[in-house]
Amino acid sequence: MKAFPKDKLTAVLDTLAKQATLWVPAIVAGVSRFAPYGPGREVQLGANTVMSPKEALFPATEKIYEYSAYGIDGEFTPVDPSVGPQILFGLRSCDMQGILCLDDVFLTRGYVDDYYAKKREEATLVTLGCVTPGPDCFCYAMGVNPAEHAASDAQLFDLGDAYGIVARTAKGEALVSALETAGLLSESDKAPLPTGDFVLKVDAEGITEKLQHMFDHPLWDAFSRKCLNCGACAYICPTCHCFDISDKKRNAHCGIKIKCWDTCMYSEYALMAGGHNPRPSKKERVRQRFMHKLRYFPERYGKLQCTGCGRCIAKCPVNLEITDVIQQVREAKIDG
Amino acid sequence: MADPTNHANAANPLPVATVDDVKRINPLVPMKARVTRIIEETSDVKTFCVSTIGEDGMPAAPFHTGPGQLAMLSLPGVGEAMFSATDAPDHLQISIKKVGLLTEQLHEICEGQTVGIRGPYGNGFDMEAMKGKNVLFIGGGIGLAPVRSVVRYCVDHREDYGNLHLIYGARTYDDLVFKYDLFETWPKVPDFKVSVTVDRGDDNWKGNVGFVPAFIEQLHPSPENTVCILCGPPIMIKFTLGVLDKLGFTPENVITTLEMRMKCGIGKCGRCNIGSCFVCLDGPVFSLAQLKLLPNEY
Amino acid sequence: MSDNMRNNVRDNMGHMNNQLTQEMRDLARELLASGEVKGLFGWTKGSRWYLTPPVFITKPEEADRLCYDEFAVNNLTGLLLDFRDSQDKIAVFVKGCDSRGIVRLVQDNQLKRENIVVIGVPCPGMGDKGAVTDHRQAQELPLLAKCLECRYPNPVLADRTIGAVTVTTEPSAAPSGATAEAAKGRGVGSKEADRFAQVEAIEKMSPDERYAFWQAQNKKCIRCYACRNICPACNCRECIFDSDKKNWVNKAATPTDNAFFGITRAMHVAGRCVECGECERVCPMDIPIMAMNRKLIGDLNELFGPYDAGVKADEKPPLGAFKLDDPEEFM
Repeated sequence: MKAFPKDKLTAVLDTLAKQATLWVPAIVAGVSRFAPYGPGREVQLGANTVMSPKEALFPATEKIYEYSAYGIDGEFTPVDPSVGPQILFGLRSCDMQGILCLDDVFLTRGYVDDYYAKKREEATLVTLGCVTPGPDCFCYAMGVNPAEHAASDAQLFDLGDAYGIVARTAKGEALVSALETAGLLSESDKAPLPTGDFVLKVDAEGITEKLQHMFDHPLWDAFSRKCLNCGACAYICPTCHCFDISDKKRNAHCGIKIKCWDTCMYSEYALMAGGHNPRPSKKERVRQRFMHKLRYFPERYGKLQCTGCGRCIAKCPVNLEITDVIQQVREAKIDG
Repeated sequence: MADPTNHANAANPLPVATVDDVKRINPLVPMKARVTRIIEETSDVKTFCVSTIGEDGMPAAPFHTGPGQLAMLSLPGVGEAMFSATDAPDHLQISIKKVGLLTEQLHEICEGQTVGIRGPYGNGFDMEAMKGKNVLFIGGGIGLAPVRSVVRYCVDHREDYGNLHLIYGARTYDDLVFKYDLFETWPKVPDFKVSVTVDRGDDNWKGNVGFVPAFIEQLHPSPENTVCILCGPPIMIKFTLGVLDKLGFTPENVITTLEMRMKCGIGKCGRCNIGSCFVCLDGPVFSLAQLKLLPNEY
Repeated sequence: MSDNMRNNVRDNMGHMNNQLTQEMRDLARELLASGEVKGLFGWTKGSRWYLTPPVFITKPEEADRLCYDEFAVNNLTGLLLDFRDSQDKIAVFVKGCDSRGIVRLVQDNQLKRENIVVIGVPCPGMGDKGAVTDHRQAQELPLLAKCLECRYPNPVLADRTIGAVTVTTEPSAAPSGATAEAAKGRGVGSKEADRFAQVEAIEKMSPDERYAFWQAQNKKCIRCYACRNICPACNCRECIFDSDKKNWVNKAATPTDNAFFGITRAMHVAGRCVECGECERVCPMDIPIMAMNRKLIGDLNELFGPYDAGVKADEKPPLGAFKLDDPEEFM
């Protein structure tokens, strides 16, 4: 396959950064996340990022339109959802799978969310095969192949001293040919390094079906006792996509309507104007989170809404681990 | 009492935008619209007549909603919320009860106010499937708003449906909404029985006094070839379902609308998720049989 | 330390942990079996050797799930808030730092003291899981910074104790009980004097540098509210950040709005922060939250005299009481 030596990585990134906004895994103010490549950027291809790359396609906060209101008159001015061409470089298979989940939500079922759709259309996704799974990784159990992902535009492989690159789509071919034109690629006959062993062991076989009989199971009480109902898990998750639409006022007369991340973990998330809350306590909210990922989403879109990236496991303040939930659900007894 | 909202020329129906037309517009950005008329229904319910406005300030493509569908109404600078909408020949009617900050502000606006509107959202009632059947409407309080959109459709397509019967109740006479329909328009429609009750009677009220479920039992409507459309406060729904079951209505023939908090209206933001359904997209109309398949979380 | 000594320390720790765990289970079993408490918050062994997360048990036979070691870092007192409207008596295990959370909750009238059975445990100092290099095999870990700076290694109050720990409201008392030697050996409290070092370093920055520093931190905040939700001092029934209805704050995660959250949170716990450091530990974005809290603690000490929140239940927080010699004269 075509390949570039690892010491040419900077040259590769410099080349790609000329074509588009290039998102790379990097350390930013002490936190690893995908960030636009530029001078001084500390690129980190060796491990999963703390923040998932979803923020490139689905930012934490984005303007959807501006409004003004003077007396009885008002105006709504849409904001262009385009951010120009983007390349997401060094995604893991789990990240790529997360984007497929977002695609299901934002691009299917009758309506398209223009803000996501535009960015997705403009993005070229470059995945990197995993060699050393992190301590919290379990993608294999979620049906994801850590070595490569078929849905990416271009796939990178770790060949030891070089990265192999294979284009899978027209966008990927354009990217590879740009690197070729820059004289950065040569032919390599080395095989990709194999993926190492996983620390976390879990089997999710049949989880969706099992959960169909567990809505009222006492297990949710037990999980909710230690949950803080914070949003850490949802906000760093590559698949969590819930959002709010709210106002950011500039002054009394005008402001911006924003689309911003939200999560079913928050008490006011489903609270209605009259005061009724369909998910009034931690128990219902914890249940919603896991049911949504492991049962409702598969029922609706035909795939698990967890990619085994392990981010929520790494950062949960109380170690409410989805792998543990899966395990306990599988072991749970169901009455009747 | 004549219907003060019906100022369209029925002989000259206007073209209507299809759902697909609306989808082509960015679904999260509202269309500019104007409140052309405000009708005070009760002390805390107002009906807002809304027409879209184009660049030239003239009415733009009519905003058509099917019976039971929803519209997102926004007041710039205050917020937006989803409401059940009723289609009138050349405009949209949204009846709103004062329950929170946005609805309080909406109750303060004047005719001529610019608002934003997006939608229509939701599945609406399957009016085709109901063809040839009798329809029993049951409503409580502001719950008559979604029911009214179906009633109006059935009245407009009178020959497609069998006998119509509306059973409606509110706390007092003053709390009854759409009085012009209840007491003027609908009783004149052929084979349309309108039965109204109030929880507490007063000197103004000569009709039945009592709760809706008891009133239904008393009226004893027949389930024979009948679809029941039911909307109202949760407590009324709960007791009414027991009565309907006793009367022999099957879960497939009892249809209701769910209310959940909504933000996007297009099945993305996650808020109105119940099980594998999104109320804004797959609902808000569900048969009782369908609801039994969903987690009880609404 | 030689490998041999290191192994010895680890073996000793393991032995102590086993003993404490056993005491913990026995006491929990007793409390649940006798019906004295309806439930109990403790720690259990997690999925990996360096994880000992919270657990809530309600039956005596569940007592064997409890476990205690140098990874039982979670302060469990905030979880008691789920029971603030309940009449059920709940037991909770507390390390020294955690115990101040109980005082906090009782002083704030969030919990009735008589509804809580506080069980004091000795603390060996908590290991920093961020330093783990082998996720399969146990290894010696450095202490968390907050444990090096610890001033209350012993519980300030307790109804029951295990591991012969001493209950004391004395600051800077030596670690006591079964883990005393280990705690001293590992350096618990050894950097107590450095408690304000980070604050001082930030104060030495120029205004522009300081602004850039906090701006970078605020930019990172994802508004997950983990810091708020784990904190025993953040106990408002309805937080203003949960309500966008009144337009006090909007949900946009911009540096300005995040700063508004961060500063509001810090100001709201000023004079009430018990320095358990949990906010900073749970922050997924590694924001130095304790620097904010410590800045306010330092300022309050200067203005009102030295005060440690959540130590003495009958001592009013400086901002929760008025005295004639208070520096603010508007009263």
